[in-house]
Amino acid sequence: MAKKEKEPGITINGVIQISYNWTVGKAGGRFFNELKENKKIMGTRCRQCGRVLVPPRIFCEECFVENMEWVEVEPKGTLTTFGESYISTDGKRLKEPWMLGIVKLNRSDGGLIHFIGEARPEDLKIGMPMEIVFKDKREGNIMDILYFRPAKK
Amino acid sequence: MAKKVAIVGVGMQKFEFRKEETVEEMIFDVTRNALENCHLSKEDIEAVVYGSAVDAFCGIHNSDKVAIDASGGMLRPTMRNSTSGSTAISTPILGYTHVASGLYNLVMVICFEKMSENAAAQAVFNTVYDEAFVRPIGLNVPIQCGLEARAYLHRYGLTERQMAKVSVKNRGNALSNPYAQLPMKLTVDDVLSSPYLAWPVKRLDTAPVTDGARAVVLASEDVAKELTDDPVWIKGVGRGADSVWFMGRRNYDLGRLDYAYLAAKQAYDMAGIQNPMTEIDYAEVYDPFTYKEMQHCEALGLCPEGGAGRMIDEGISFKEGALPVNASGGLQGEGNPIGAGMSRLCWCYLQIKREAGACHVPKDVNTAVTNGWGGMYQYNAVMVIGRD
Repeated sequence: MAKKEKEPGITINGVIQISYNWTVGKAGGRFFNELKENKKIMGTRCRQCGRVLVPPRIFCEECFVENMEWVEVEPKGTLTTFGESYISTDGKRLKEPWMLGIVKLNRSDGGLIHFIGEARPEDLKIGMPMEIVFKDKREGNIMDILYFRPAKK
Repeated sequence: MAKKVAIVGVGMQKFEFRKEETVEEMIFDVTRNALENCHLSKEDIEAVVYGSAVDAFCGIHNSDKVAIDASGGMLRPTMRNSTSGSTAISTPILGYTHVASGLYNLVMVICFEKMSENAAAQAVFNTVYDEAFVRPIGLNVPIQCGLEARAYLHRYGLTERQMAKVSVKNRGNALSNPYAQLPMKLTVDDVLSSPYLAWPVKRLDTAPVTDGARAVVLASEDVAKELTDDPVWIKGVGRGADSVWFMGRRNYDLGRLDYAYLAAKQAYDMAGIQNPMTEIDYAEVYDPFTYKEMQHCEALGLCPEGGAGRMIDEGISFKEGALPVNASGGLQGEGNPIGAGMSRLCWCYLQIKREAGACHVPKDVNTAVTNGWGGMYQYNAVMVIGRD
């Protein structure tokens, strides 16, 4: 019997392009405004349990109350893990890795994820102190932070 | 009180990078296969449950509606479930609740994903992150998992070489699986010398992008006993979720999956299992990256916490080992169509029924466990199945 012939794969090509207008919310609004205007990292402290949330939220997910006050946290913290990627976000292979890390910020119970700069992967260690480098011209979004770098004494 | 629920059939098809079938055609294939497997017709099925993780892969949102005709869902109650990668096991758990509640006697569970339709799967994954704080950083799945893998290896002192052994095992096991996309005979050095995606994760630590579907038929106790003399029961189910804000979780350590330990405990408590290392005969664990198999073996209690390196070093999880894991090849070897990772459950069933063909492990399997994982390191779903 002749080998069953495979139908040629006909495809229909198209693009779905949708623009969005994402709200950053009540807590995000204050956070990004302080970041832009005053180069400050703000968190919200739960008056019931005392935890300081970064990114800030208008409620404490543990106590389940909306009893929060705004506090400034240090733009410094501890590297909890870091990544070096050889793949771009759209899946292309890169010669030089881009690096990012998660830093738990001092005087808070939260942290941020961002790029790591001014360091090679071999300079980094989980648990080391890091600091935030801010952009000079800030626009009120997470890219107002340029990157984390190993803390300078 | 939950009623007893049995798995009475599964529907399989080959996993491939690119299937020329539509989502509807893929689902017809596995539905028919499952009905043949348990000698039922579509009229017997009372309700259908669908699972698919990310619609943007196939570019058809609410894609479950495409699945209705092909799954016997017309003029039936249907429902779609989605919990990222853990859809693979949370969907049969949703099917389980349909029957355990006493509402239905026969339920079809369909899981599918068609990942090849879009131009860049990583760009699709990039749309799952929080827009204000995370997505602008350009996070994608390899680096997301690189962050987790580094924290895990650091916490427990495990190595890239041990990760590589999981890839060698699973892709080698897939050589016996007729449905597998990526069977490979590899050495540890092949894996270690494959290019990094995001340290410590390399190309050969990573499951491929896959098109595919799976079906599972669930039955109430009375119906199951009519259909078979040897029912395979769902003995325990569990699920856990953690905060989407992974930067500041309670344990500050992405290396330990608190939510997976929780899901496993629920499932084992329900199944009356006290010591999984001796009471579980076989496991299919969720392994989109090699270190995920290791983490999940620990969370499922198949080895001590931090003991997954020793488990693979000593061959305990090999096909012929004391507690075989992913003898089908897992996601690494069989392919990783996210929601259709329900294949892990199908292979547990096939092992118990001695219908696993060349994938069969050289021992009797009476009790098996499987899990699914997904989200921002967030979800786990666990199911224990077995004979009475």
